[in-house]
Formats: sequence, structure tokens, C-alpha cells
Amino acid sequence: MKKTIFIDGMAVAFDGEKTVLQIARENGIYIPTLCYHPKLGPAGMCRVCVVEVDGMRALQTSCSLMATDGMRIQTASPGVIEARKMVVNLLLANGNHDCLSCEVNGDCELQDAAYHLGIERPAFLVEEQAERDTSAAFIMRDPNKCILCGRCIEGCNRMVVNEVLDFGLRGGHTKVICDADVPMGQSTCVQCGECVQLCPVGALIDKKGIGQARAWEVEKVRTTCPYCGVGCQLELHVKGDQIIRVTGIDGAQPNQGHLCVKGRYGYDFIYSDDRLTTPLIREADGFREATWDEALDLVADKFSQIIAESGPDAIAGVSCARSTNEDSYNMQKLMRGVIGTNNIDHCART
Amino acid sequence: MTNSFSEFEKAKLFFLIGTNMTEAHPVASYFVKRAVLKGATLIVADPRKHALARKADIFAQLKVGSDVAFLNGIMYVLITEDLYDKAFVEANCVDFDDLKAKVMEYPPERASEISGVPVETIREIARTMASIKPGMLCYTLGITEHTCGKNNVMSVANLQMLLGNMGVESGGVNPLRGQNNVQGACDMGALPGTYPGYQSVTNPESNAKFAEAWGVDSLPDKFGLMIPDMMAGLATGKVRGFYIFGENLANSEPNIAHVEHELASAEFIVCNDIFPTETTRFAHVILPSAAWCEDDGTYTNSERRVNRVRKIKDAPGQAKPNWWIFKEIARRMGQEWPSNSPQEIWDNEVSMLVPAYAGIKYARIEQDGLQWPCPSIDHPGTKFLHKDGKFARGQGLFKGIEWTPPAEVEDEEYPFVLSTGRRLFHYHTRTQTMRAGLDQILPEETADISPVDATRLDIADSETIKVSSRRGSVKVKARVTDQIPAGLVWMAFHFRDGNANWLTNNVFDPDTKTAEYKACAVKIEKIV
Amino acid sequence: MREGNQENVESIIEKYPKKESAALPVMQLIQEENGNQLDAAGVEEAARALGMSKSRIYGIATYYTMFNTRPVGKYHLQVDTCVPGFLHGADEIVKHLEQTLGISVGETTADDLFTLSTVQDLASCATGPVIQVNDRYFENMTIEKTDELIEALRQGKEPDNDTSMTVVSECGILLNDRTQADCRTLDFYKRNGGYQALAKALSMQPADIVNEVKDAQIRGRGGAGFPAGAKWSFLPKDDPRPVYLICNADEGEPGTFKDRQIMEFNPHLVIEGIAISAYAIGAAQAFIYIRGEFTWIADILEAAIEAAKADGQLDHVDIIVHRGAGSYVCGEETALIESIEGKRGNPRSKPPFPANIGLYGCPTVVNNVETLASVPYIVRHGAETFKQIGIPNNYGPKIFGVSGHVNTPGVFEYPLGTPLKTILDAAGGVKGKMKGVIVGGLSVPILTAAEAEGLSLDYDSCQKAGTSLGSGGIIVVNDSVSIPELALRTIEFYHHESCGQCVPCREGSLVVESKLRALVEGRGTREDIDLVLQLCGTIRGLTLCPTGEAFSMPIQAMVTKFRPEFEALIQQ
Repeated sequence: MKKTIFIDGMAVAFDGEKTVLQIARENGIYIPTLCYHPKLGPAGMCRVCVVEVDGMRALQTSCSLMATDGMRIQTASPGVIEARKMVVNLLLANGNHDCLSCEVNGDCELQDAAYHLGIERPAFLVEEQAERDTSAAFIMRDPNKCILCGRCIEGCNRMVVNEVLDFGLRGGHTKVICDADVPMGQSTCVQCGECVQLCPVGALIDKKGIGQARAWEVEKVRTTCPYCGVGCQLELHVKGDQIIRVTGIDGAQPNQGHLCVKGRYGYDFIYSDDRLTTPLIREADGFREATWDEALDLVADKFSQIIAESGPDAIAGVSCARSTNEDSYNMQKLMRGVIGTNNIDHCART
Repeated sequence: MTNSFSEFEKAKLFFLIGTNMTEAHPVASYFVKRAVLKGATLIVADPRKHALARKADIFAQLKVGSDVAFLNGIMYVLITEDLYDKAFVEANCVDFDDLKAKVMEYPPERASEISGVPVETIREIARTMASIKPGMLCYTLGITEHTCGKNNVMSVANLQMLLGNMGVESGGVNPLRGQNNVQGACDMGALPGTYPGYQSVTNPESNAKFAEAWGVDSLPDKFGLMIPDMMAGLATGKVRGFYIFGENLANSEPNIAHVEHELASAEFIVCNDIFPTETTRFAHVILPSAAWCEDDGTYTNSERRVNRVRKIKDAPGQAKPNWWIFKEIARRMGQEWPSNSPQEIWDNEVSMLVPAYAGIKYARIEQDGLQWPCPSIDHPGTKFLHKDGKFARGQGLFKGIEWTPPAEVEDEEYPFVLSTGRRLFHYHTRTQTMRAGLDQILPEETADISPVDATRLDIADSETIKVSSRRGSVKVKARVTDQIPAGLVWMAFHFRDGNANWLTNNVFDPDTKTAEYKACAVKIEKIV
Repeated sequence: MREGNQENVESIIEKYPKKESAALPVMQLIQEENGNQLDAAGVEEAARALGMSKSRIYGIATYYTMFNTRPVGKYHLQVDTCVPGFLHGADEIVKHLEQTLGISVGETTADDLFTLSTVQDLASCATGPVIQVNDRYFENMTIEKTDELIEALRQGKEPDNDTSMTVVSECGILLNDRTQADCRTLDFYKRNGGYQALAKALSMQPADIVNEVKDAQIRGRGGAGFPAGAKWSFLPKDDPRPVYLICNADEGEPGTFKDRQIMEFNPHLVIEGIAISAYAIGAAQAFIYIRGEFTWIADILEAAIEAAKADGQLDHVDIIVHRGAGSYVCGEETALIESIEGKRGNPRSKPPFPANIGLYGCPTVVNNVETLASVPYIVRHGAETFKQIGIPNNYGPKIFGVSGHVNTPGVFEYPLGTPLKTILDAAGGVKGKMKGVIVGGLSVPILTAAEAEGLSLDYDSCQKAGTSLGSGGIIVVNDSVSIPELALRTIEFYHHESCGQCVPCREGSLVVESKLRALVEGRGTREDIDLVLQLCGTIRGLTLCPTGEAFSMPIQAMVTKFRPEFEALIQQ
């Protein structure tokens, strides 16, 4: 059954069980959020998504408020704006939210909220500084940028269930801890990077991308992970020829946005100086560089010679379980259709 | 996999045997753990008490290579206690009597004696699996990498058919494929007996169909050689030309010394690769390939999903896409192939020649890939196979399976069992991961041993020890961990130094020719 | 696992419907066995025993103040410096201890004998100053008695605790005659009519009991004043899930120390109340969530439960005494539920309400000790008799605790609607000249002496006067007190106790505290005063749980009503 709510006076139809935030987003109405992530569901912690509801005394968090037929919502009343401004100001007051050289400048949900609320600089300051944690191989943690939204913790415990992160201490001292509050590099963290992907600000950063590109310079390309047989879908963040970082794609099958350490951080082997860049032909004391024509002619001639002398079954080929279907298809086609043998296999069972 | 990853989270029961997903298929393990958080029952059978075993409701720490006996023991309980799915078996399966006759030779007491799993645990597993339906069975190479690998696979299939767990959502037999496109390479006919789409080379119709499609007069109609026989042929001269595409056989095949002898004997080896490897040392011609991100194409994952990979940059130097290299060799040997891009190869050849791919075209897999069978352009793909108990061959075939021990078992001289596999932080022979910074986390190979054996042999954690088999020996650091039971040594094959394959046994399943990576006999010695 | 711990740990785990609920008691046990410290090895031990992650255990250990993740001395001296303690001279005790021991707060003596800490509210408001030594209280402390205590501890002795205060019970329903040596016993309780209400209840239909309680219109005594009968009737009907009853004994609002009077001296009244209520709502499992500091009271309750069980009174319900571990917020019902579930005491977002999704996701009722202790009377004598006590819409007896500047602080059981003056007179009258009074625990707005004139102590009158009856913890402040200092002390408590989950409370309390501190220290500006008011105004109603309101309203009241005192602190 179609139901209607009124957002800032505009009638919006919806069906099913939905939150006010979901309906607002589906209709292009901006409500800032920080602790909410569609994958994790409502948390109700940051209080920045509050709206005013006719007939309700207090402001309501739109991420957790179920819409009911006829509900009337104000997303930009003076009370709402004041509350949101205070929340963002309180977060900016504590820590080091300096966008100038922040890796996520342009891709930061706190920055977006501040921008939309017209906050140019924090209204007040409480200085507290904490050390960055650079101990882990691929993830850098900057507690000065952490807004304690808890998304990384939810991701670690409920999404990938690696159970490394949690909140430690309490109140104003609350912080995100690894195991019994040890540096990430000494913890049981396996660097899957789920936390980085969920972080709305620059508190968790992929080390490999530091200083490589601004958020708006990258193009996103979907592809499939080159490691195990799960076939995770990746989004490559590319600048020029360079992959800057890799993220999962929320909702995409089969991995629904989750990755492992290799899928997320094992990408830069393609840039290795060790890459083979020219055909090589064996000589007495090693290999010499050759042209493609020379190398391919040699292969074709040698194969033809063997076929002529010993028959096609004197040639065998092993295809690659890492490369594409199209490559394997062409290789078996070469072996069968050109050379004339079924001596084609690959490490099918490993 | 008969079923899909998207069904994991909804599963009510998992039976994981010979699979350590946390390390080998991390993302799949997330879904298992999430299902467990939501209340799914988890049964793990493995020689190692790995991370998922610690989360298991029931953990069966079976001896390496005892799977058939263990599974027969479970089926004995299901049959004798009348717990199996009679309706499913009667409607959809044949040869139940053959299975029953064999299974009756494995009462839990005998299964327990062979597998080391307590009788009560065997009974509990059977009763639990019978009481929670459907159950999803997953396995990996712990099942296949044995001389009895094929029998192991048939045993897990027997179990799931007996329970009626086939053809249903969140059920099925689910081998998780080790490599990104091992499923695709099989599907594409990089196998000695089948054309793309498992169309047999011995079937005259298929043979004629591909000959016509490829514009050739005839195609060979006999099974070809599998890798071990190819390698053996190199040493005898029966195989003179050997084309190795992207595989590092010198590190990944069992018994490295023997493998290198075979490679060194070859008359002519061609390698396509992206890096110089231990294997390219033996090549006569090395052809530089485009890598991941340097070519378009598709991979097919474990759940039969054809996914796109995309090019973001050119290959370095003169490196070329592999399909182009094969096409060029074909041209030089007298054949002009029409397709001139991965998309043309797929859309115009593969998808036209394989009925199960008829509905899969590049235009349809821009976002999520499609799962075969996908026979028509409006077909949504197939999430799980054998729906309503309809098996590809008509009826599910039961077969009684006899347990056989590994080819080499521990003895006085080599008193430990060595089992091998992959670790989370590296991949295979490390050609990629060592060049992507993963060495920071895992810089060298280790031999994992139990605290009991470490104490007994006075070996400290991280102490360098010597591990030897009849085929070779390595010096490697010991990693003392309670994941490992006494009597077991566990190693991987990521590093040249300390590679398990200096030790592994080059014996193979007689049908599938899969090597027995999971079991051989070794000794460990303190270095004084 | 250390020798012998294994079995104890397993028996704790077995007690609970879910293993995770054993987190706090198991961690408490490990800490106790390890010299009052939960070190890294202890965290790992607990994680393994409970099947939880190390971060979750460490997160719990550092959330609750009673876990020591760092080493402490043999005697951990904890002085309550929260508002009532402050008014009773706790700061002087701290200064004296610093001098005597030669250490500052937070430090341990070189001989590892003493660690000195200040703590927030030990619910000994009328008997302050109070020093908690490990898990024992020493109340009514003076400089001299502090010296004696230190000397005794040095000699390995523990002196007796002086718990004396004024106790007056006009109603005689909730407070019993504690001068009787056997006042806690089953025998004493039954001699005075105990468990007759339970017997009557068990012969009634549960729905009839619910109706009786509804008819009595008893309002929840924890602070919110919500009708208890209505709360019960929110439970879903014909639901297959188990129902849980939780007795909220996490008395933690500064100024409040009433529930402990019932539990410590009249434990069977609470147990009978629980037994009747559990039967009425269909709960087979009940919990008493008692604040962790009340170790001896928890022991008293456990002994009383054993006695009642042996007497056949509890055949229909199992009662677990679950000890908290140091957190004010756990007095909020959803935080309390989280705490029983073995988590950090973070309140949940409402809805859903506990009546529908509470403990372990099941229907749950959480009632205050005093509320449940009133149930036997209602059942035994009927709603109409109960309603003869008090005034319309505010029925029944209420225990008022009076602390601060009165001559004889203590507890006073009077009908709701009793004039404030009557209670203050019973407490020996105001010491000096009254500047203001907080009538419902620290979280309600202060009233000036003029505003308090003629006030009647009931929910409606207090609301009309711009404050709240809250928990009935009355804190009297005379004119020797600086309101800005009182405000700072107040925000220090809430900032310390904020769970840290939601931004307005966590960061707001931090900013308000830093601005008030600046003012008190003479570094403040007029803008700071305005900012404090503005923040308090916006925080109110914006937080996830009532804690935001609990500090924004009293601070706002103090600043607004005594603004000249704040302005006087600004350096020109």
C-alpha cells in the first residue's frame, strides 16, 4: 500500500517499511549523516541526522525513525539546523580536522556536513592531541580525526567478524582500540581494510594511497579481484595509469563490498620493475631480447617442426588459472584447432 | 559450487570439511561467520583447529587422509538410525543399495579408529545434520588434494544427497575454487577431455561443431595428457614442445627436485608470463604478457559467475595480451582467427558455442556478473543447481566408496605427517604478493608444529629447524601453534626457501591426476 | 586459566541464560584473584573463557570504573568528591590524604600499599565524606578518622564502618526497624507479615495483580515517575518469548541513597516484591542489577534469596543478583540491559522499548527497587488502601534522602505530597542560610530558596515549580557554596559518566566542563557563559538517552538563576 509523508511540506509517496532518512535520500533530499551507513543500519549516535516531526517534542534521528503514513517532517527548521550545527561544531572542536592535506578531502562526510551547514571554522576549540598509529602494514590510524561514529567497529565485528576493533575507555576519553589497546600492527588485525572503507572521515587511511591523489582526481573502474576463487568485485580508484586505492562495491555480488587484505592492498604488483617487457629467447648463457616477430616465428616454426617430426601429441600446453576466460579459450583453441592435440590442461585441481 | 555465496548468510547449517576459508577464501569466511552470529550451526572437520574451527559448534579434528572413512561413519549413523531423507533419495537418486552396502562396513567405531574422531562426535554430527535442514557443505583442497581425491568428492556428494540437501537454497556441495579463474579455465576447456562448456572431445557431434566453428577439417578426438603425464613426457622425450601459460610449475608442483629435472629435460619450452619465475628459467622463449588491469576480459568465480575484468592501463614495454599472442601463433601456423578483442572472443565465439553461456554477453555483465547455466538472453542466470532434485544426468548417482590411506604414511624414519596449503597474506608462489608489500606482514615460510611436539623435541617458536622427506629437506622456522595436533607438520608453498614442495609426494589421484599435496611423511630435526 | 579459576568461571557461566552475561562477574573474579588488577593476561583469560574478543573484554574493562587495567596498591583509597561529598567536605579529606601519603590523586605509594583516587558518587550522600577502600565503605569520615583508618590499614587491620545517620519512617512500609539485630532475616520478615502478600498473589490470576498495581497508580520511583502498572501492561500478549523482570538497583544519581536502605536492612521486601511482580508478568527469570560498589549489599541479597528459596517462596522464579562495575549510565534501563548482556553500558536507541525488545531481545520490565518494594503492600492491602497514602496522582510512601547542608542528614519515609519543610525539619533543619535546594537528585534543576518556599514533595508540584521530584534525593546548599563551583562539580560528574556514545553528550559535556572550569579558574569570558547556556539549550532532548538532559537542565538552571555569580568570576 502506498503511504505518504510530507518532507518540508512536499508530499512524498513510499511503500513498505522505511526510515525517514531512506525516503529522503531516495527523493534527493540531503540530510547529513555520520554514524549511519546503509550497510550497517542506524546507530543513532552522532545525532546529526535529526529532523523535526510534527507532534513529537524532541528532535528525532531520521536514520532510525520509521516513516508512518501522514507523518510531517521538517529537515531544515531553525531547531534542526541549530542542533546539526552544534553537533558538527562539537566534533570539529576536538581533534584535528584540518582538510588541507587530509587524504579524504573531498570525500569526507564530516566535511560535507560542515559545508552544507555553512561552518567555515569550528565555533569553539578544545585542544587534545593523540599519536597517529602507523604500525600496521597498510592502514594508518589518526585518532585526531576520529569522530567515534563506530562504523569501523560495527564493520569489524558484524560484517567481516574479525573482532579486532572495539570502543575502549568511556565518555570523552572513548577511543577505538585494537585488541587490548595495542598498536594495530601488533594486534590480531588481518588488514582487510573494511574499517577504512567504512570510515566517514580521514581517521583510517589506506597507506598506499597517501599523497597520491585528491579524491576528485580519481576515476572509478569496476573489476574482479585477481586472487582467490570468490571473485570479489573491486572498485579501482585510478589516476592516470596508477591505482590509488581499492574499495569494495556495496551490494555488488558476490562479496557485497567486503574485501580481504590481498584484494584491497595486493594490487601494485603490476607496477613492479620486475615485469617482463620484451620477448626473450634463450641463448647459451641466458636470454636475449627479441622482437615479437622473431619470437613468435620461432615458436611457430618449432611447433610446426615437432608436429611434422613427431605428430601433434608431442606438444602439450598448460593454461593459466589466473588469466581470463578469453585467454584460456584461445589457448585451448590453439592447441586443438591449430596444433591438433588435446594435450591441454591447467592446474584445475589446485 | 552448486550454490552461491549470497546463500551463505541465510544458511542454517554449515558443514565445512577440508577448507580453511579464513585464510584461503577470507571473504567467504565473513559470510559463514555472519551466519553463525545469526544462529547458524557450524560443523567443522579438519586436521587443524583453525579460526573457524574455534567458532564451531562441533569440531571433528580428523586425521589427514581419513575423510572417506569419517564420512562413511556419518552416513552409517544416518542410515542405521533412519535419519536420512528417504523421500529425496527415492525420488531423485539411484544405487542407494550400493552406497548402503559399503557404508555398513564403516560403523562409527571403525570410522573413529581410522579418523581419530570420537564415536560420539560422529554420531552427533550425523544427528545434527539430520535435524537442521538444509545444510550447506563446503570444501576446498583438503578434500581434493589426495590420491583418493575423487573418492573424497564422491563421498561428500553421497552425504548431501543422503540428507536431501541438494537442489535447495543454502544447501548443496560447494567446492571453493582456489584461484580466481580456475573455474573459468575448466569451463573454457583447458582440460584434456573437454571443449568449452564441458562438451566432450570424444563426442563426434561436439567435435564436428567445434571443427566447423573454428574452420578446420578435423579436431583430435582422443583424451589428451594431464599435467603430471605431460611433465613425465618431457623427461622421456614423448613431449617435445611444452607451452606454459602463466604457471610457476617449478614451485607449485610436488617434489620440486623431480619437477625441475623434468623441466630441464625439455626440448622446447615457451612461457607466457608477467614476471621471470623459477619456471621461466627453463624456457626457450619467454613471451611478456599483459597483466590484470592491462586487458579486458572475464573471470568465472567459484559460484559459476562470469565477472568482467577491465583494462585501466597499457601493458608495460612490449608486453601483449595473451589472447593476442595465441592468435598470432595461430596466424603464423596458417590460421586467421576472426575475433580481435576479448569481447569479440566471448560474445562471438564462447557464448555462441556453449549453450550454458548463450545468454551471457558483455553487455549483460557490466555490473554484477551472471551465473551459468544462462541459456538465453533473457535468462537471469542460475543461483543454485539441481533445483527440485533434478541432476544434470537425470538422477543422483550414489556410489559406495572404500577408504584408502595416503600413498605415504608416517613410519619410524619419517614419523610426522606433512600437510600443505595457502596462508592469508600470500598467494601461491608469491609472484604477485611479494611485489605488493605483503612480505611486510609475512616475510618467510614457517613449519607449523604443535606445542606438544615442540616441547618434546625442545623446539622454540621461531627456531630454525630441518624438515625432511624422502624427496628433500628444507630449513625453515618453526611456528608453534595450538592449531596443529601432535604428529602433524603444516607448511605452505609461498616462498622458494622452505617451500613445502621440496618435500611433497608426487603421487596422484588415478583419475583426476591431482597430486597428494595434503599428505606425505616427514621428520623434523632440531639444528644443533 | 589460573589454578582453580576454571571451575568458578564455569559455575558463573552456568548461572546465566546466556554465556555473554557472565562477562562482568568473570572479569570481576579474575581481577580479584589477580591482586585487584585486570592486566593484559587477565583480559586474555577472560576473552578465552567467555569466547569473546580481546577488544570487547578490554572495552568493557575500561568502560566500568571498577576494573583496574593498571596496577593499584594493596589498599585502593577512593574518595567520593561528587556534589554531596563536596558539600560534606570530601575535598579536605583528599588534600589531607595527599599530604599524609605523600602522593597525588591517581598515584600509588612507593611501598605499593596505597593508591589514592577520587571517585564519583558512592551513594553515601548523608554519610559523607566516604572513603571506599577496595570494596569496603568507610562513611562519616573526618580528618581524625582518616588518620585512624590509614594507621589501621598499615597494621593490616580494618576498622568498623560508621554508618550512622537519621532514619525516620512515618509510613513504616519500606523502611523497617534496623535497630533490631535480626532485621534482615527471613524470620524477622515473616514475623512482621512478610511473604503473606506473595501467598495471596500466587492465589490470584496474574492479570488481576497487574490490574491491582495499575489501580494503585504507583509511579516509578527511579526518577521518571512513569506509572509502573502501565509499564507492565505494555508487554506483548501471547508472545512465545520468555519475559524477564529486572530490578534496577543501580542507585547512582548523586543525592540518592534510598534503595540501599531497603536492600541492606529489609532485603526480603525487595525479594517479595520481585517474586510477586515476576508472577504477575510471567517472568521465570529475574535479575537484581545492583551497582558494583554495593558488594556487601549484594551478599545480603544473595543470602536472603537463598533463605527465601529454602522456604519455598521462589519456586516460580529464579533471581540472579548481577553486580555492576561502576557506571552511572547503567541506571538507564537499556544501558542496564546491555550491561547484563555483557557489554559496555551504552544505552540503546528507543524505540524499540524493553517491554517489546529488552534483555536478549525478549520482553522485559525494568523497575526500581523502591517501586518493587511497594508492590507487596499494594497486593496485600489493595490499591484503595495504598491510595490513602499521599495525594491524588501521587500515591504511596516515598523515601527521601537528605544530604548537604542540613544538621542531621538521613533518610525519611513520608507520603508523597509531604511539604519540603517537613522533611528538612526532620533532617534537623538547614545548616546556615539556604541558597538553593536540589530536590530530585543532581540531574534536576536547582531551586532557589525563594522558589523552594512552600514546595510540596510530589511529582506534579515539583514539575510545576520548574524542577522534578526525580529519585527524591534532596541536596541542600547553603550560602557558603559558590554556584559556579557547584556547576563545575556537577558537569564533572556527567562528563565522567557519559558513556561516550552520542556526540552531544560526549563532546557537549566536555566543552561545557572546559568552559565552566575556565570560568571558575578566572580564565572565562562572557561568551563562555553564553556558550554554556546555548549548548545546554540545544543538547537538551538531542541525546540518545536522558543523560544529556540530566546535565543540561541543572547546569542551565544554575547559570540562569545565579548568573551574577558566574559573571563575577570574569576578569575585567
